[in-house]
Amino acid sequence: MRSLFRGRYLVPALLLVSVGLFGLLVFSPGSSSAASDSGSGSSGFANSGSSGSGLKTSSGQFPETPGSSSSPSQSPSGNGIYNVSLPKSFIAPGQALFAANCASCHGSDASGTARAPNLQSLGAGTVDFWVSTGRMPLADSSIQATGKRPRFNKLQSLEISAYVQSLAPGGVKVPTVNLSNANVGNGARLFTLNCAACHTITGAGDALANGAYAPSLHYASTRQIVEAVRSGPGNMPHFGPGNISNAEVRDITAYVHSYIQHPVNRGGFGLGGIGPVGEGFVGLLIGVGALMLVCFWIGDRT
Amino acid sequence: MSDEPITAEPTAPLPVAALDDPHQLPYARHPGRAQAVAAVSMTIGILGCIGFGIAYWVSDQTQWEAITLGVGLLGLGFGLTAWGKYLMAQGPFVEERHPFNSSEEEVKAMTAAITQRGGIVVGRRKLLGGLFAIGSLAFGVVAAFPLIRSLGPKPGRTLFVTNWKKNSPLVTVDGRPVHQNDLEVGGVLTVFPKGFAGSSPDQTILLRLEELTPEDPPLTLQSPGRSDWTALGYVAYSKMCTHLGCPVGLYQEQTVELVCPCHQSIFNVLAGAVPEFGPAPRPLPQLPIKVRDGFLFAQDGYNQPIGPGFWERP
Amino acid sequence: MIDESVRWLDDRLGVAKGGRTLLDKIFPDHWSFMLGEIALYSFVVLIATGVFLSLYYIPSAHEVVYHGSYLPLRGQRVSEAYSSSVGLSFDVKSGLLMRQTHHWAADVFLGSIAVHMARIFFTGAFRKPRELNWIVGITMLMLGIVNGFLGYSLPDDLVSGTGIRIAYSIIESIPLVGSYLGFFLFGGNYPGNGIIIPRFYILHVLILPVIIGALIAVHLGLLVKQKHTQFPGKGKTEHNVVGTPMFPTFAAKTTGFMFMTSAVLLLLGGFAQINPIWQFGQYEPYQISYAVQPDWYMGWLDGALRIMPSWEWVGWGHTIPLEIFLPAIVFAGLTFNFFYAWPHIEKRYTKDLATHNLLDRPRDRPKRTAFGAAMLMFYFMLFCASSTDVMANFFNVSLNTVLWTFRVIVFAIPIITYFVTFRICNEMRAAEGIGKRKRAMVVNRSAEGAYSTTPTEPRPGDGAHELDPIPVPTYINLTPEELETAPGVRRVMR
Repeated sequence: MRSLFRGRYLVPALLLVSVGLFGLLVFSPGSSSAASDSGSGSSGFANSGSSGSGLKTSSGQFPETPGSSSSPSQSPSGNGIYNVSLPKSFIAPGQALFAANCASCHGSDASGTARAPNLQSLGAGTVDFWVSTGRMPLADSSIQATGKRPRFNKLQSLEISAYVQSLAPGGVKVPTVNLSNANVGNGARLFTLNCAACHTITGAGDALANGAYAPSLHYASTRQIVEAVRSGPGNMPHFGPGNISNAEVRDITAYVHSYIQHPVNRGGFGLGGIGPVGEGFVGLLIGVGALMLVCFWIGDRT
Repeated sequence: MSDEPITAEPTAPLPVAALDDPHQLPYARHPGRAQAVAAVSMTIGILGCIGFGIAYWVSDQTQWEAITLGVGLLGLGFGLTAWGKYLMAQGPFVEERHPFNSSEEEVKAMTAAITQRGGIVVGRRKLLGGLFAIGSLAFGVVAAFPLIRSLGPKPGRTLFVTNWKKNSPLVTVDGRPVHQNDLEVGGVLTVFPKGFAGSSPDQTILLRLEELTPEDPPLTLQSPGRSDWTALGYVAYSKMCTHLGCPVGLYQEQTVELVCPCHQSIFNVLAGAVPEFGPAPRPLPQLPIKVRDGFLFAQDGYNQPIGPGFWERP
Repeated sequence: MIDESVRWLDDRLGVAKGGRTLLDKIFPDHWSFMLGEIALYSFVVLIATGVFLSLYYIPSAHEVVYHGSYLPLRGQRVSEAYSSSVGLSFDVKSGLLMRQTHHWAADVFLGSIAVHMARIFFTGAFRKPRELNWIVGITMLMLGIVNGFLGYSLPDDLVSGTGIRIAYSIIESIPLVGSYLGFFLFGGNYPGNGIIIPRFYILHVLILPVIIGALIAVHLGLLVKQKHTQFPGKGKTEHNVVGTPMFPTFAAKTTGFMFMTSAVLLLLGGFAQINPIWQFGQYEPYQISYAVQPDWYMGWLDGALRIMPSWEWVGWGHTIPLEIFLPAIVFAGLTFNFFYAWPHIEKRYTKDLATHNLLDRPRDRPKRTAFGAAMLMFYFMLFCASSTDVMANFFNVSLNTVLWTFRVIVFAIPIITYFVTFRICNEMRAAEGIGKRKRAMVVNRSAEGAYSTTPTEPRPGDGAHELDPIPVPTYINLTPEELETAPGVRRVMR
């Protein structure tokens, strides 16, 4: 037993380990959420470092009327989605931008050519979605447009949208989105029923038929979400107010903006959110693999 | 001990080894070092286990619980294994295998015990033997009855007929009736017959392909005899995939296809939800719909059993 | 004190002789013999975590209103099964750790059974007298797969509920009795009267674990009785076992390994999120998510279902959905029957009826190894085929292309694997000294200028292999004087 304490490595190792553990315990980001996690339960945001967003327990972020006795299908009054009329001053710069970047395929009056469709009466919101997500300008129209780094900033996108809207009335408008009365529970329910079949229940996106795909929802802004739901870009269906009301769109947007884009990954690393495919690879390669390495260490080679 | 000790004949002397026999030597060339490593590991293990106790009470964080208990068990395990591998006698030691077979006489005797004794008895009382065999068989058969039959009801009409009837109103999952203006072109909605919202076999997918007025000619779908099954550009199909029953919730508006997310069967909506790709064998049954007073109703139920195939399906 | 305890037990149970034989039992040390232990200790973790979970989970499809911590579910009507599972994940102290460790342990349990089975196959350890153990093992594999499916279906979430729907349709596809079996099991037309959750539960926590536990006991009992196999080597023959004794060496190593297995599973359970059911929501039969796959050990069945062409037989007023029946029932049945029959098949082919206690090196049986590798590849291709949509998305390829590619490579790649493996085996056999650790040679020069080489000392572990094996010593360094003295003294017979 005495030799235990004479070991050269023992004391430094003990020191290192205890200091390390102490430091981690004191400075861990998780400790501040401990009380609210087990106690009040007022927020589902159990903060784990792996969610990476730095979101603390944020009962202030998407306040649900606590203890709400209303069933999930009722939403509080004020539906949170307000259509914006873009200022007339946007039209002129929009026309210039359109002429320089869009007219070669869509025609100078946006009525379409053989290469690109007619944009008139699609509405400012539709155009703003395509431009602000970077899907337009589009290099190759034979494959599905990909969301990428937008060429135009938000203001320019709105200017182009204002110009196209000025050419013909109608279509989806640019919305302002106020999520403060949103019911994320209702949003979750509606998301599952209407969106999960293409975008997956975690919003990760997946491949569709004939080369199309449903994109990931992790990078969309609230305005883009509303514009997409209403305008149904590409193969996405059109969800009009008769199908999903403004209040319901607000709830869905709140749910996507919070629990889809910042999922509660209380269990650790999310492994991509694609379910058993990722879990199988981790379980076999890391789980069984690590244990096989241990077997290799313990056992003989003959 | 008060009872008589049992004495038995000693046989071969029990093996003895010297402490410095090479077989008794440990694996490690420097056992002191190996012991130090194992000791550190076990100490980390102890700290980890205590750490788990602290983590459990102080913070309900899964990651803290896992790292403390995981490192704790890993330390203890590694230390113990290192002790066994590096510090214990490495041998090699040998053990003899003895053949399993009994002698020829024993095997013959066993066979004889069964065949001869048994044979005489059953041979003399063939009636009893036969009766017991039949009885066991009978019991075996009837024992399956409560085990299997009591589990549930026999398959019945519900396999063939849904709750969609003539004039069933179409409602959403919340029970709200569907109005003709509800869907835009390219819209999709899951509907049920009134009173059965959320019922699995009744799930129906409603699509709006065009915005038509009553004066316009109806949608042309390439399915014969069904030109009046659509209404004002609306078309309805069973949402239950004919492959394995998953809800066909994925609608591609531009290519006008319904795709089943489970195994990617692709149904051509304009051709009557005919499967063009993937494992689904049959088209999705179509629900004939009509508009009355601005709301959507079913003209009739489905004309065939919905969902996957089964033996009794004609 | 030890002496008194041993005497106390021996007076009542006669355990001294058998006990010493057990303690002296020899376990060969090769690393690949420990793969089954991974499975065994994963099973122990499954039982331990499973008992914890069973104290909180409520096996009922009855609807309640969720009142727990996860906001989006608050106020929603969900089944008690789902509510209690989410409750375990959020509102039970260390509940999520136990739930995730349990799920990872199930994945690792079946993964380690697969590698263990591969080891048994490639080294020929299933030959006489161990055919019984092979059958027991295949049965445990089958029951393990079923139990895993039942287990992850218990929370009644959207992803696993979809799997239950598919299972119902598979049962329904059986000719003649399918619809009856489906209605019986589920209590009616899908989704049934809700009885399926409690039935899955009792199968998962009682019926199947008891059977698997009993089979583990049989499996280990056969192993003790027949003794472990070993690779050929110095002093190793068909009639002995060479290695380290059960006590203390093997006991220390295997107990340590149990701790380490538990540790790995716990670390996975705390840091790698698995089955986040709160993100999926309660299962409703009219809702679906994309990118839904079963757990990995059912992946081969799902892949087979995806690549199967849409053949359906209709005639004389009846339907047999071959696109379900062939891959899910016939193919699965053929798979397991083939596994069961393999020792018999190999005997017919090689005409080898002898008892084997020495193992083959896989390279020495190139045809068996190549065939096994091809089969492994076949099932692996099917497993990959279950993620066609994820692959199409990840590689930016059309779904249709991915599916057709899999239809081809599921057959092409195993064939190629066979020939490549066969070739590799033969080349390895031809190469001299391959796989053996080489000893460094010290070059000496004599005074006259002649060169000679002497090998260096072998590494510690290898040096032991150069010794002749001896029986496990009962007495180390001393013989008790009692053995020399008078009659009437208890002696032990060997």
